[in-house]
Amino acid sequence: MTDFISLFDPISIVLITIGGILIGMGVHFIPVGGAPAAMAQATGVGTGTVQLAAGAGLTGLISAGFMYHMLGNDGLTNIELIQVMVSGAVGAMIMIAVTMFIGQLVYVYCVGVPPVSAKVDKDPITGDIQDIYVSKGTEGHGIPTVSFVSGVIGGLLGGTGGSLIYAILMNAGYPESIRSIAGPSPEIVALAGIFSAGVFYVNAVVASYNIGGTIEGFHDPKFKRVPKAIICCLIASLLCAAIAVPIMGGLI
Amino acid sequence: MSAVEGGPAGGGISATNVAILGIVGGLVGIYLASILNDITATTYFSFFGGIGAILAGVWGADAVRRVCSYGLGTGVPSIGMVALGMGIVAAIFGLALCYVINIPVVLGPIIAFIVAAIIGLIMGTMANKILNMNIPIMERCMVEIAGAGCLVMIALCVTISGTLVFESHVATDITILTSVVQTGFIALIFIGGAMIILHPFNACLGPDESQDRTLYVGVEKGGIIMALSGVASLMVLGVIPAALTIVIGLLIWIVYFTKFINLTKRDAHKVIGTGLLPTEEELQ
Repeated sequence: MTDFISLFDPISIVLITIGGILIGMGVHFIPVGGAPAAMAQATGVGTGTVQLAAGAGLTGLISAGFMYHMLGNDGLTNIELIQVMVSGAVGAMIMIAVTMFIGQLVYVYCVGVPPVSAKVDKDPITGDIQDIYVSKGTEGHGIPTVSFVSGVIGGLLGGTGGSLIYAILMNAGYPESIRSIAGPSPEIVALAGIFSAGVFYVNAVVASYNIGGTIEGFHDPKFKRVPKAIICCLIASLLCAAIAVPIMGGLI
Repeated sequence: MSAVEGGPAGGGISATNVAILGIVGGLVGIYLASILNDITATTYFSFFGGIGAILAGVWGADAVRRVCSYGLGTGVPSIGMVALGMGIVAAIFGLALCYVINIPVVLGPIIAFIVAAIIGLIMGTMANKILNMNIPIMERCMVEIAGAGCLVMIALCVTISGTLVFESHVATDITILTSVVQTGFIALIFIGGAMIILHPFNACLGPDESQDRTLYVGVEKGGIIMALSGVASLMVLGVIPAALTIVIGLLIWIVYFTKFINLTKRDAHKVIGTGLLPTEEELQ
C-alpha cells in the first residue's frame, strides 16, 4: 500500500487542478446563446456551453496530442510542455473561431440580423453603438466583435487547460524509467486522452451551471460570477486529479 | 432550456424503486457477464453486460428526468455529459485500482460505484451551495446520475471485452485496456452511454411528459448502444458472442421502440395521417 500512496504526485495533481480551473474560466469567455440564440433571439452561438466547450476542447486535445507525439517521446522538458500547451490552445482557438465565423455567416446572410449585443450600449472594443440595432423582444443576435474576441480568449484558456491536463497525465503514465525511442504505448495515450476528456466535461458543465447556460462574453454582467466557478472547478478537478494521477502512474 | 420549469416530476414508479432496479440490475449484469464467462471459459455471456447497461442507464435517465424537470438553464445534454465525465473517471479508477494494488477484480465495480457516488455528492453539493442552483433534489440526483454513468461505462466495457480484468501481467490476455481503451471504443461507449442517460428526457420533455414513455426511450436507446457495442466486440470476442449481443440488442430495440410508439399514440390527442402536401394543380 505504501507503493500506492507514493503514486500521489502532488505537482501533477496541482497542475491538473490548474488545468481544470483554466477550462472553467474559458467557458465563461465563450459566447453561448443556447436555444434562444439558435432562433437568433439572443447573442452568441446557438448551442449549449458543453457542446461548444467540448468541441473546442477536444480539438485542442487532438492538436496537443499531435505536438506531444512530435516532442514528448523522450519525455517533456518545461519548454516542450509549453509548446504542447500552446499547440492545444491554438487548436481550440481555431475551432471556436471557425464555429463562430460560420455561425455569424448564417446569422447575417441567412437569418438576416445584425450582430449586436443587448448587454452593453457600446461595443467595448470597436465602440460601435449596439442598443438601437437590437430587435424588439430579443436579447441581441449574432456574434458582435467583443463576443468574437471573448470567444477566442475562451478557446485559448480552454485549450491550454485541456492540453495541460493531457500532458501531465501522459507524464504520469510514461515516466522516465520506461522512456524509449518508440514512444509511449497506445493504451497509455488512449487512457490519458479519455481521462482528460472526462475531466474536461466535468469542469465545463460546472462552469456552465454557474452562468445559467448563456453568456455573451467578458462584457456580460454574468462574467462577475467567475470566482464561484473557480472554487467549484478547483474542488472538482482536484478530486478528479487525485483519482487519475495514481492510476496513470500505477498502470506501468 | 427545459420547457418545463418548476415543480418536481411525478407519477409512475418511485425514484427508490428505479434506483434499486438500476443498481442491482447494473451490477448483476456486469457480474453475470464476467463470472459466467470465467466459469465456462467462453465469452458467450458478454451480452449480460449490455442488459446491465440498459438497466443502469434507465435509472440514470429517470434521475435526469427528475432533476431536469426543475429546469437547469443549460439544457438536458449537459447533465448527461457530466454523468459520463464523472462516471468514466470513477469507472477507470475502480477497475484499474484492482490491478494497481493487486486485489480481486470483482471488487472493481463496487469501488468504482462508491467513488462515483462520492464525486456526485460533492458535485451536487457544490451546485447547490456554491453555485446557488437551489434545486432541492440536486445532491441526490447527482449521486444517482454519477453512479448510473459509472455502471453504464463498466457494463459496456464488459460487453465489448467480456471480462472485468483491466490490465494483466500476461500480455496475451484480453483486457479492458487493450480491447476497449486502446482500440478507441471507449469514445463510442462514452457518447453512447451518455445518450442512454440524457436522450430520453431530452426527447420527451414537455408538459405532457410521462415516466413510462420517457423510460421506454431509455431502454430503446440502450438496445441500440448494446447492438453497437456488439459490433465493436466483433474484433475482440469473435463472431458468435458478438452476434448474440447484436441480436439481443436489436430485439430489445424493436420491442421497446414499438412500445414507445404505442405510448406516444396513447399520450397524443389524436394521430391522423394527413398525406402529402397538395400540389399547386390540385389546389386550383
